[in-house]
Amino acid sequence: MQSAVAKAIELILSGNAELMNILSVTAKMSLQSSVIALLLGLPIGIWLGSCRFPGRNVLLIANRTLMGMPPVVCGLVFYMLFSGVGPFRHMKLLFSVEIMVMAQIVLITPIVVGNMETYVSGVAPAVRETARGLGLGGFKTFLLLCNECVYPIISAYLLAFARSIAEVGAVSMVGGAIAWKTNVMTTAIMQHTNRGNFTLGVALGIILLTVSLLVNIVISVLQRRLSR
Amino acid sequence: MILPAFSKTYEGRTVLDFPGMEVQPGNIYAVIGANGSGKSTFAKILAGSLKADHRIKPMEGIGYMPQKNYAFRMSLKKNLLLNGSDEKRADELIEALQLSSLAQKRADRLSGGETARMALARLMMKRYELVLLDEPTAAMDMETTLLSEELIVGYVRETGCALILVTHSLQQARRIADAVWYFHKGQLLEHGAKETVLDRPERAETRQFLNFYGI
Ligand SMILES: Nc1ncnc2c1ncn2[C@@H]1O[C@H](COP(=O)(O)OP(=O)(O)OP(=O)(O)O)[C@@H](O)[C@H]1O
Ligand SMILES: [Mg+2]
Repeated sequence: MQSAVAKAIELILSGNAELMNILSVTAKMSLQSSVIALLLGLPIGIWLGSCRFPGRNVLLIANRTLMGMPPVVCGLVFYMLFSGVGPFRHMKLLFSVEIMVMAQIVLITPIVVGNMETYVSGVAPAVRETARGLGLGGFKTFLLLCNECVYPIISAYLLAFARSIAEVGAVSMVGGAIAWKTNVMTTAIMQHTNRGNFTLGVALGIILLTVSLLVNIVISVLQRRLSR
Repeated sequence: MILPAFSKTYEGRTVLDFPGMEVQPGNIYAVIGANGSGKSTFAKILAGSLKADHRIKPMEGIGYMPQKNYAFRMSLKKNLLLNGSDEKRADELIEALQLSSLAQKRADRLSGGETARMALARLMMKRYELVLLDEPTAAMDMETTLLSEELIVGYVRETGCALILVTHSLQQARRIADAVWYFHKGQLLEHGAKETVLDRPERAETRQFLNFYGI
């Protein structure tokens, strides 16, 4: 056990080519999916949190359902859509980073939406009432609302990013874990462990845990700042 | 200036039935009444932040300070400058309410009374035709209360606005109001010059309410 960790650390420090490739594919995928999820989820979350309209509850329930959706189900849907029998087979996206990003967007946008909605519906009434009471315009009110949400936006983004790098079900189905192409940290851990090659698995595990730790430290600092 | 008639019903219970009133520019109207008599509901609807039972025409040029004030996540002075760019005016108001030492402090970390002072100053950065203040001094100490009253009176004189002041302090009404409106269970039960309503009320309910203040 001890020697496995030592070997893993040695591997990380040696800048092993396969390891570096896995890290770069993971970074490419997670940065893309999390940024797009943020851009989509932010306006939707702010809208759901600050407006009251018929059908809003249905959307909230739908979002919560998506938040809890097992990644393999998401992977299955994308697989069926893009595989040899699916309607989008001509796009030839199966087993590419692009389709992994797409599947992840479906998985993590709801996280951004849900987190923003919760926070915004807490502050929006007071912000609105105050801004209207002063006679400020609609656009200025929206900017003020965004300004009140800076920390929650960052923490929603980090949660989405963390989920993205840790996710395995969907990316392994639609990405296929092809070495040097679509193999990301999680799928590589599975693959190398199955082959009895623990060193790379442990190295990736250490990196994943470290990133997760860093993300959670930042989130906790933000939350401390947030509480008044 | 004419305030429209409106009502508000929650779950079949009418908590406010306002008959409509006229207010004169340059006058201060104190709204008094027991907890739950509909004072805040009245102010919120006039300010447009709460819907009445039937649509009323939204009024222009209203400034409103809610009972619960919200401080934006920025410095106290920046909060003031949200509502007008005149820095000199901001500094004057900060000075007048003894907020100078707090001007650069994050406004969302102010105490209750400090937040109320900030909110009052923030509102007064701009001119309005009608100003609604919902218990602006409830969280303030006596000295700050008197400073705020001075500021309110000065603002009304300067801008010529009409001002509606919800308050639980009869002394405050006596000090700065011109007229008093007494709300009772959602009804505007009695209104008139402050001497009349406070010293010679017509309705038994008003007398009973005033009795609790030992007057
Ligand atoms: N959202 C709501 N749903 C149901 N009832 C409400 C709601 N908001 C206010 N009420 C009721 O309306 C009545 C009037 O409330 P309002 O806040 O106007 O009272 P107030 O005169 O301002 O009292 P206070 O002196 O305590 O500030 C109260 O009985 C209150 O319980
Ligand atoms: Mg009230």
